[in-house]
Amino acid sequence: MKKAIKIRELEYIYPDGTKALKGINLDIHRDECVGLIGPNGAGKSTLLLHLNGILRGTKGSVEVLGMEVKDENLVKIRQKVAIVFQEPDDQLFMPTVFDDVGFGPSNFGYPKEKVKEKVKKALEQVGMEGYEDRCSHHLSLGEKKKISIATVLSMEPEILILDEPTISLDPRGRRELIEFLKNLSITKIIAGHDLELIVEICSRVILLDEGKIVTNGDPRGVLSNKSLMESHGLEVPLSLR
Amino acid sequence: MHLPEIDKFAHLKSPIHSWDPRVKIISISILIFSVALVRDFQRALLGLCLAIALIFLCRIPFSFVFLHLRWVLLFTLVLSVTLFLTVPGDLLLRLAFLSVSREGVNLGLLISLRAVSAALLVFPMMGTTKFNLSLKALEKIKVPDKLVQLLMFTYRYIFLFMDEEKRISIAANSRGWVKRTDFSTLKTIGSIAGMLLVRSFERTERIRDAMFSRGYNGRLNVLDEFTLNLRDLIKTSLVIAFALMLNFPWWIK
Repeated sequence: MKKAIKIRELEYIYPDGTKALKGINLDIHRDECVGLIGPNGAGKSTLLLHLNGILRGTKGSVEVLGMEVKDENLVKIRQKVAIVFQEPDDQLFMPTVFDDVGFGPSNFGYPKEKVKEKVKKALEQVGMEGYEDRCSHHLSLGEKKKISIATVLSMEPEILILDEPTISLDPRGRRELIEFLKNLSITKIIAGHDLELIVEICSRVILLDEGKIVTNGDPRGVLSNKSLMESHGLEVPLSLR
Repeated sequence: MHLPEIDKFAHLKSPIHSWDPRVKIISISILIFSVALVRDFQRALLGLCLAIALIFLCRIPFSFVFLHLRWVLLFTLVLSVTLFLTVPGDLLLRLAFLSVSREGVNLGLLISLRAVSAALLVFPMMGTTKFNLSLKALEKIKVPDKLVQLLMFTYRYIFLFMDEEKRISIAANSRGWVKRTDFSTLKTIGSIAGMLLVRSFERTERIRDAMFSRGYNGRLNVLDEFTLNLRDLIKTSLVIAFALMLNFPWWIK
């Protein structure tokens, strides 16, 4: 199976001296759906930001779709690796939905007609057709979340990274998102505390704590291990008790 | 919650609404400068009439205009009264120990008329086009990109900023905080303002990450296409001609 992401001995130290990642080694294969779990401050978001070069390791290497994460490859990598951030208001920074969804494609140099086509397709994918002229600040949280996903789908990425995708969503919104992700056949990395979501859609789970990978394996096996989960500030999800 | 939406009536239909935003911004900006530069009361009054006529033409309700203009009116009122009482000249009126001069009244009224007319003209200029389109028009007429982006982010996040302020105030109220005119209230307001700034700063970092993740390279790519027709050119010519007329005699003096 081809590798989508290859991380070797990755270390990252924040400017204030906090060691956020300590020798991470990880391979993620194409079309795999991987859950990234861990307590708050484990380094999940920091690790995700290394996958498209927003953060660069102080040591080690990251390779994405065969390209090393370095300045020369950043444009290509950011086109292929899409991150949906936790807070939709951070993701939706343009005045209208159209501008936001078209932001990525227009930055990557697509002609106007192609951008319009991609915006239309991305909005259709998340079931938000007709929202093009709406202002982001007038949308509900569920709508904002869907539009946030559309903003990266319009770039037609090969790897989709979601940071806490179901946070603040109501049950219906959460269910719709799960069904949508299940049907999306690209490489997916989902970080967060919604362990039921991880059990339902991920084929592998990575437990991260204090900047290190504690374990890496089948979601049911890892998440049902009560002592392991509790020792890292987590709980066995209800469906596995 | 009341949101500061200047483009609330951008959906209406009028000759000002259908005017190409690029030339509309240029022409009305020229008119604003012209109104701000007039040197006599009659011309200032003419400028005010023109501003009111444009608002009437674009059908923005005067109640909406007045609501957004109240602080300008208050400011000009304070300024006028100060000028009435402080500018030396022919005595017009004596009220106890205060004296009002003719020159003070003329100057106060002139400045107030110019300020109010200029502020009124902002409504046909910015209130008749969706704000995002106005921003794109600014980009197209070569207003510096950084300024346009600054305006865009201000517009996008002012609502969020106000929501956050509201949430923090509710949290403070629910723990028994009541606004009073005392030092403790000032201290709490200072803390709330500080917290809002810290949160905004943290948010900017997250937005920056989101932007770079989607290929942002420091420039905005404007996709909207504006079309200029004969009617736009006629409207532009009329407004610019009026702007020149307001000040023309001063140039040849």
